[in-house]
Parts: sequence; C-alpha cells; structure tokens
Amino acid sequence: MKPVAIQTEEDVLITHEDVDRAHDRVRVSTARAQRGFSSRARLLWLLVGPGVLVMLGENDGPSMLSYAATGAKFGIGFFIPFVALTFCMAIVVQEMTVRLGAATHRGHAELIFERFGPFWGWFSMIDLGIGNFLTLITEFIAIRAGLGFFGVPPWAAVLFALIILYAALMSHRYWTWERITLAAAAFNLVFIPVALMTHPSWHSVGHAFLTWQPVPGFNKDTLLIVLADIGATVTPWMLFFQQSATVDKGMTTKDIRFGRIDTVLGATLASAAAIATILATAPLFAHQMTADNFQAAEFAQALQPIIGRFGASLFALGMVEAGIVAAITISTSSAYAFGEVAHKPHSLNLPMGEGKSFYAVLTLCAVAAAAIVLIPGLPLVYVVLLVNVVAVLAMPPALVFLFMLVNDKEIMGDLVSPWWANILSTSVVFILTAAGVLFGISIIAPNIFAALGGK
Amino acid sequence: MIKNDRRNSLSSDQTWILSSLEHDQLANAKKRPIPRRHLKGPELLVLWALRLYLLFMMAVVGYQVWMAAH
Repeated sequence: MKPVAIQTEEDVLITHEDVDRAHDRVRVSTARAQRGFSSRARLLWLLVGPGVLVMLGENDGPSMLSYAATGAKFGIGFFIPFVALTFCMAIVVQEMTVRLGAATHRGHAELIFERFGPFWGWFSMIDLGIGNFLTLITEFIAIRAGLGFFGVPPWAAVLFALIILYAALMSHRYWTWERITLAAAAFNLVFIPVALMTHPSWHSVGHAFLTWQPVPGFNKDTLLIVLADIGATVTPWMLFFQQSATVDKGMTTKDIRFGRIDTVLGATLASAAAIATILATAPLFAHQMTADNFQAAEFAQALQPIIGRFGASLFALGMVEAGIVAAITISTSSAYAFGEVAHKPHSLNLPMGEGKSFYAVLTLCAVAAAAIVLIPGLPLVYVVLLVNVVAVLAMPPALVFLFMLVNDKEIMGDLVSPWWANILSTSVVFILTAAGVLFGISIIAPNIFAALGGK
Repeated sequence: MIKNDRRNSLSSDQTWILSSLEHDQLANAKKRPIPRRHLKGPELLVLWALRLYLLFMMAVVGYQVWMAAH
C-alpha cells in the first residue's frame, strides 16, 4: 500500500474528511523525518490516542464499580494480580485491531460484513448494538450516582453529561475530539490519590502480586466478580472502537509500532487506576462492611469516614469521569459501526452537514440511554455487574471474527499474526469461554459448586 | 467536496493531499467492496458453536435476572 502521488485512471474525489486527515498525516511525516529524542517524543504524542482512549474508556462506570465491589468484598489479595492479568489479555486483543486498522484502513464492522457476508455481519452487529446500549445505560447510572454525591439531581446530571459529549463533537475534527477526550480520560487516574489516602499496606500488595494470595472461596459470588472484572477490561465495543479510531486517525502500517506503545501505555494507566480502586475500597473489607447495597456514590459515602470529604468527593468525581468518557467512546463506537455497515460517511472529521447519520446515531444512542437512567427504581449495582458479565459472554464470538480477520493473508499481507500471538489470542478465547461456562454452571447447577467445596 | 476528472490536471492542493494519504485512506476508495471470503467447514462449525453458546448463556443470564427479581 504505497502512497499515490497522482491519479490518472479514475476520478479523484477528495472529501473534507480527507483534507483533515492529510493535515494530520503531514505532521506525522514531518516528525518522523526528524531525528532526536524530542522528535520521537513528538511522534509519540501525535500517534497516541486510540489505545489510551479505549483502555481508559473501558475503565468505565460499571468497571470502576466492579473494582470497587472487588476491593470491598475481598480486600487486597488474589484480585490485584488478576486485574493486571486481564489488562495483559486486553493488550493481546487490542493490538490485533491496531494492525487490522492500519493494514486495511477499514473499520471492524465493515470488514466482518464484507469478508464474511451480511449473515454473520448482522449477528456481530446485534451483539455490539445490544452490548453498547446496555453499557451506555450504565455509564449514565454512574454519572447520575457520582454527581448525586454532591446533591445534583438526576436530570441535571445526565444533561451535564450530554452537554460534555456534544461539546467534544463540536470541533468536527478527529484530532481535537481525541485530545479533549484524552484530557477527560486522564482524570481516571484520580483513583490513585484516593487509594493513597487509605494508606494501603504495601507489604500486602507486594505479597498479593507475588503469591496471588489470599485466594477467595470458590462460589457463585466470587465467580460473578471474576466475570465482572474480566468484562471490565475486555469487551466487544473495544475491538470496534480502536480499529475504527485507528482508521479515522489515519494510521498506516508505518505507525503500528507506536500503535502498540499506545495500547500498552493505555493498559498500564488503566490497570493502575483499576488496582487503585480496589485498594481504595479495601478498607471497607477490613471493616467488614458489606458491599451488596453500595451504589457508585454510596461507595464514596462509605469511604468518607476513612478518607474524609475531599477523598470521597474525588472518588465520586472519578465515577462521573469514568461514565462520561465511556459514554463518549461507546456512543462513537456505535456510530462508527453503523456508518461502516450502512455505507454512510463515518468520521469525526466530518462537518455536521456531511455526517448527519453519523452524528445522529451517536446522539440518539446517548440520549436514549440517558433517558432510561431517569426511570426511578432501577436496581443499579446489579445492572452494572450484569452488563460486565454479558460483555464477557459476548467476547468469544467477537474474538473469533477478529482472529480470522487478523490471520487473513488476503487483507493483511505480511502483517498476519505470528504463531505466538495466535497462541495468546486463542488462550484468551478459551479463558473467556471457560469463565462463561463456569458462570452458567453456577447458575444452573449451584450444587456442583457446593460439592467442589464452594458455597 | 473537490471533484476532478482525469482530463483536468490536479491542483497543487489536491496533489499534496493525495501524496499525504495512502490511496486506500481516501474516503471514496473505501466504497470499493472487499471480496467475500469463503468460510470452510471447521470455521463455520466454530462460528455456529459460539453463536449457540452465546444464545444459551444469554438465556442463563435472563434466568438469573428472573430468579433475582423473584
């Protein structure tokens, strides 16, 4: 795929989207042509984005609530290294989307439809659509609950989130949208100072990382948290979003190395925030406080006697940020997928007039999810944990499509996955499927768990 | 949108844009379909098995929600 200097055999149709993307590519080419540390750092600055956004975006409302429930229920132990492991799985999976996007310049939904046909394409889209919409609802639950800590009424909380989402879109420029969303996503790291305020036992943290001890009892509740924590790091929308964002950013095969750095950097930051959240709520386990009835803001309220009003406020704001960033990225993922499948223009570089359907889908998804959250009496914590479980269950079929595409020599050429990457990704599929099967057994035949020594 | 055909020479702006992007990156180029891949027996078997797995597990989740509600 070499750059084409001039076309003589067919019409040349240049869109607004192409002009904006060309500007971005010139900056990348200029930085790449220079030598020295500062130009390398500038190149990294220009090329990071999709990986960090997808990882911090997945540290969303339900994910942070899962981590908070993990800390409150199990304290410091097995789940600390386990969460780090789930982010390693996320790196293996997401790296493949970078290669696919850079090699084909096509989005994930588009590739599934075109390579495997509409029959399998629609299955994939239905999984994505349902999963994205359910997850979007939980993002607004997190926003509502987080701002509720400060006494903001639910309608004002969801309206505030919709305004921020819309403000990020108003630039009609991928680069500006990406930087605004990255700045918002950086606030996810607020869970680190909150964790430090609880004065965690670093000896216990080190012991947990080295030994994976103490291991919790093997029962239905533990399995639900295991699945929720896996679903907090690897979900179908991440595949669709990172590939589409890689394409929209204009990344090429020359940028794959930086795409990998971007993904690893995102996973490192996100795992730090996730582990910090477990550490932050671990004192609730030490004080033997049950987490069963804690909603997002109630975790902040429960922590207030331990870390003070300021720390609790940071925790609640972190929940709000997690919800807002994920609402932005997940609704964008839905809009990208719709545009790819419907063959409508789909880029954040499009002006409103040229990308009506793209922006309409994005806005409709967000507004509908926000409206549902205003229905009184929703069982919030149960809903968010279940959404993560559903994400884990939907992941193996999505991963098999990804696996087949990334090993497709016709579209990938020399960039097909090496054998060791295939072993890793196959292992991820088996782990996710096994976790899902165990979850199913725990529901259908809980007596088997009792026979194995669980509860 | 800026449209030219081969009879006209490309302006310097357009040349600059075309040289900055790979041909496949142009929005118009993405309209060209990618050829369909023929799925082999084992691939179809895996896809169907996972599809049935997902449907069954969704029923399990539905059952759990129903149990929790009652």
